[in-house]
Amino acid sequence: MADTPWARRRARAPSRLGAAALVLGFAAIGLAGTVANLAMLLPGGGWWAAIVRPDAGLPDQLLAAYSFAPRLVVSLLAGAALGLAGAILQQVLRNPIASPTTLGIESGANLALSAALIWMPGLLGFGREWVTLTGGLLTIAVVFLLSRRSGFAPLVVILAGMVAGLYCASLAALLALFESHYLAGLFLWGAGSLSLQGWEEPLFLAPRLGLAGLAAILLLRPLALLGMEDAQTRSLGLSVGMVRLAALLVAVALTAFVVASVGCIGFIGLAAPALARIAGARRIGPWMLASAATGAALLWATDQMVQVAAVISAQMIPTGAVTALFGAPLLLWIIPRLRLPPAAAGSLSVQLGQSVGRPGRRLLLLGGLLLLALTLSSLIGPTATGWSLALPGDPSSAWALRLPRALAALAGGTLLAVAGCVLQRLTRNPMASPEVMGVSAGAAGGLTVAIFLIAETSRLEQMLAASLGAFLALIVLLLAARVSKANPERIILAGIAIGALLDALVSVLMASGDPRAILLFNWMTGSTYGVDASTAGASLLAALVLLALLPLVRRWLGMLPLGEDTARALGVPLGAGRLLLLMIAAVATALATLLVGPLSFVGLVAPHAARLLGLRRPLSELYGAALIGAFILVTADFLGRTIAFPWQMPAGLVASMIGAPAFLWLLSRKQDLA
Amino acid sequence: MPSRRAVMLGGLSSAALPFPNAWGATARQGAVELRIVSMDFGLAETLIEMGLPPVALPDPASWTQWVVEPALPPGIVNLGTDREPNLEILAALKPDLIVTTPYLDAIAPLLARFAPTKTFSVYAPPVGHAFDRSVVATNQLAAALGREDAGEALIARTQACMDEARRHLAAAGLAGRPVLAVNFLDARHVRVYGAWSLFGDVLERVGLVNGWTQPSNYWGFSTVGIEALAASPASRLVYLEPIAADTLGRLAASPLWRSLPFVKAGRVIRLPAVLMFGMLPSAMRFARQLTLHLAGERNDG
Repeated sequence: MADTPWARRRARAPSRLGAAALVLGFAAIGLAGTVANLAMLLPGGGWWAAIVRPDAGLPDQLLAAYSFAPRLVVSLLAGAALGLAGAILQQVLRNPIASPTTLGIESGANLALSAALIWMPGLLGFGREWVTLTGGLLTIAVVFLLSRRSGFAPLVVILAGMVAGLYCASLAALLALFESHYLAGLFLWGAGSLSLQGWEEPLFLAPRLGLAGLAAILLLRPLALLGMEDAQTRSLGLSVGMVRLAALLVAVALTAFVVASVGCIGFIGLAAPALARIAGARRIGPWMLASAATGAALLWATDQMVQVAAVISAQMIPTGAVTALFGAPLLLWIIPRLRLPPAAAGSLSVQLGQSVGRPGRRLLLLGGLLLLALTLSSLIGPTATGWSLALPGDPSSAWALRLPRALAALAGGTLLAVAGCVLQRLTRNPMASPEVMGVSAGAAGGLTVAIFLIAETSRLEQMLAASLGAFLALIVLLLAARVSKANPERIILAGIAIGALLDALVSVLMASGDPRAILLFNWMTGSTYGVDASTAGASLLAALVLLALLPLVRRWLGMLPLGEDTARALGVPLGAGRLLLLMIAAVATALATLLVGPLSFVGLVAPHAARLLGLRRPLSELYGAALIGAFILVTADFLGRTIAFPWQMPAGLVASMIGAPAFLWLLSRKQDLA
Repeated sequence: MPSRRAVMLGGLSSAALPFPNAWGATARQGAVELRIVSMDFGLAETLIEMGLPPVALPDPASWTQWVVEPALPPGIVNLGTDREPNLEILAALKPDLIVTTPYLDAIAPLLARFAPTKTFSVYAPPVGHAFDRSVVATNQLAAALGREDAGEALIARTQACMDEARRHLAAAGLAGRPVLAVNFLDARHVRVYGAWSLFGDVLERVGLVNGWTQPSNYWGFSTVGIEALAASPASRLVYLEPIAADTLGRLAASPLWRSLPFVKAGRVIRLPAVLMFGMLPSAMRFARQLTLHLAGERNDG
């Protein structure tokens, strides 16, 4: 009766021993690291005395008492808070993907801090915690608002949360991009460094976390009942909405305190509850306790290892980014072992079947719109003296500078939209898209490795590295899908893990202050800057070839969404068809990522928009999405070049400014229809 | 220097209009001035000191936040960010020369489409002394402009400035004292300038000792938690503006910070902004600010 979500089907008796062993395992690593670090800091021993009564004349003792010890305590506190927050969120939303990270709470808090640092540094005088708390609360409020109509249905909340989180991350990236490269403090905070010089942070965290923990204990019984069907719960006299809201607030507060205190510590809130569940803690009370304990032990162990590594490498390594770096692969390992509920995506399923109205005319109209946007964007633009018309033929005309960028944006939008369409149909998952599934992240990761390992990279090498990365991400996804029989949620979860892995990698690189990281970051925002005519031409050609090939796979795209049995009955070679479609998606994503970066949202939004326009048959949906994707990015490129002239915003980032709200609007509309 | 700037103001005010036709119409009086676009603040300050200010810069508005001195002449065209300077403006400006750094190697071929582009290396691998490299780069820049005399004069001025600062600091009894130079990133982290940095080199040249001896990157800094400063023997710490509003208050609450020798001695000294990745003019500004605030032991911490 008081089970954690989706544990009921397991017949085995719950074994608390497993969870305890898990916690003890991490704690053992933490303890070993602690001993190692203390031995390096105070070789003469007398550790406890040094921490409790440091000799003010001995710097090493002061370091132990005011830096090492509070840092250890904060790692335990923050880990426990995030583990508990994750467990509460997962219980409330009945969703194993729920966590402070995937609901956008961390990103929102971080964005608020960035904005305050740049525009209202005076605000920080009141305390960073209020700024981050406001940011986290605002983000979750938006997520609630968007999912309110669905009665906080799990999938809708996660969708809104992920998109809101990515949106906040994009905005923070934009802010950072306009800041000079002289300051790296913003990135440091985002990467979650645990470096401390006193007991203020533990003293700040402890009472607040204590209060939130108390609230969690009070909510335990109502939360346990939430594990049941809504109707059952209601019949027991519980206001489902109120219980959820209260629990969510506790979880947000836990997260916001941690972000306010030490920054973003990625993935603990996702990994700890999941690990605890796998280890055998299934009744809600023990599970939450185990989640908190696992989180604490996990962060303790990670942070001690980070400190050992920092001594060896003589470089500061941000702990938060490292937890994400290790948390992501850990999650990939967990995914096939997770017990998931049957997909509850009724109102969000991909609508298939007959197109509404006359698809040909709609496609023609979309094509006309795209042509108009392309023409306007290359002909008109601001100059230092005002807007002017630039005509082709004039060699000094800005036309020659604008058209390649617009064409590159067009090609990127087309490719992403096609990739998104294929992935959504293939997985029958409305959340699927190259951005959300980590395929873009894989491409970006491949490029990152190339940039840091090879001194000079040509365009072709970059292309190869990006494709390789995208393929690698897809192979990991395929493996996850194979083990989990292509369960949509699992694929998305694997995608999130890959995306977080890239995020962590870039965070570590950014915090190091390596200027190449800033160039990489610049590229990751999706800029068409400096695209020359030949690159634009080649990209356009690639997009056109892809569009021309699409009719060949029409049959598979039409069949696969109907389900494996139907498809098999109709004689579709399942394995080959799926593999080919995935390869198409990977290549398209790799090409597009090189042009417009990994976070444009176009691959997620364009297919939805096409279906919304009534284009629901495979081919008309694909072509419609391609035209819409191209239109969004051409417009984004134009806006990026003009609205802040002479500053230029990257097209990919501007597209996400358009794409994310558009998607959220779509989301609330769909709830209305349902 | 001011007189030369005044002479040039006439030419520069027209430089504010990056409109192709305006250029043909504006006949330059006197000597033919090169129309230089600088992609880097360090190169720009060197150009200004040599009497050849650039016509355009990325984000000139942030000059007062990071460089301050030498003052930027009015009418400098904004190119946007340094990573992505606005090519349409660059095309309209029709510059004679673009000067850039290895940091922007990725866009150098792009810039070369609009004007001859020369790269000057101060902050680039392999690690080297920023001051010495700035001297070399200043000579190269002067040679590229055919103004070797102005380059030599600037180097001589810088040397004189270092010598003067050394005399003042020695007179104040500070010779050989270890000093830490940092920027606060937040209340928990600093960027500390090491042996290769411009600030580190200036500290040695004015007769002080850099209190940070750990290896740093080729920009000359290390990003560390404040507790790492405890390992330094420094008896003084200078920090540069800008600094976030809550940093000093939070630091004051930290027992570890309060236990650091320079904090206990009340020798935490605030300096106005100096470009940390600059060239010789920034070296001069840093030396002058050190003299002003250290020799006078004005304590703003």
